[in-house]
Amino acid sequence: MTHDEQPPGDAVSPEGGGTVDELSCEEAARSVFEYLDGELPPDYSEKVHRHVEMCRRCYPYFSFERAFLDYVHDRGMRPARSAELEERLNRLLKDLDEREP
Amino acid sequence: MSAKHREFESEALVHMDVLYGLAMRFTGGDDAAAQDLVQDTLLKAYRAWDRFEPGTNCRAWLTTILRNTFINDLRRRQARPAPVEYDEVAERSVYPQLHEEDAEGGFFDRIVDQEVIRAIEELPEDFRVPLVLADLEGIGYQEISELLEIPVGTVKSRLFRARRRLQQRLYRYAIEMGYIR
Repeated sequence: MTHDEQPPGDAVSPEGGGTVDELSCEEAARSVFEYLDGELPPDYSEKVHRHVEMCRRCYPYFSFERAFLDYVHDRGMRPARSAELEERLNRLLKDLDEREP
Repeated sequence: MSAKHREFESEALVHMDVLYGLAMRFTGGDDAAAQDLVQDTLLKAYRAWDRFEPGTNCRAWLTTILRNTFINDLRRRQARPAPVEYDEVAERSVYPQLHEEDAEGGFFDRIVDQEVIRAIEELPEDFRVPLVLADLEGIGYQEISELLEIPVGTVKSRLFRARRRLQQRLYRYAIEMGYIR
């Protein structure tokens, strides 16, 4: 596997990872985005979910990353206005109208 | 103005600002390229207007045309993609630096919108496009993999790196602006 294909793990705690429900904090953190994106296989997603719900270190970390993704979505989709574009399109559509029977 | 033009104006042109915003994100803030992309999208939509079913989601239909138009062009341009530079330091979560004062991620809300937009638009294209598709449009990994013709593992990796870069950049900005210590 190349460097490009393997996301690095993201160790959360400087104190080292604990284990909750057969999953270490490091293992749970490694899947953070796949979990939040709903991209994990259901069984593994459930395992991560149980870990996060029970783990005092991972719960705020996952909440933080969730807040980040929500924030990027909300702000990133902000519309933009261009009077120049509007003018250009109206002119083009008018031209098309005139050419069409 | 023709009846078709009138209908198109009330159903489709009302979404122009959304399309232009999305086009700016896709093109990395290149205004001329974004305008061309929206123009191509709306002209395609206008020509195919008789195939649009009234009452269905016009905005979704238009964003699909815009996305496909952008990606087709991207594929042509990236016949020989430039290698992406990696910076491991920039790809760590900012959570360890912030968790004591801001565990819930409220710090992001203090950053002005324009800085986020700029940060997305300045990501390298290889990172920016998967991020726009996943985080702005809500498209799944498999579909992104098919659209961009790259393996799902590469989608995950680029998305991961894009998000980390974005976070790090916003964090540095927040420090510079004194929003956080």
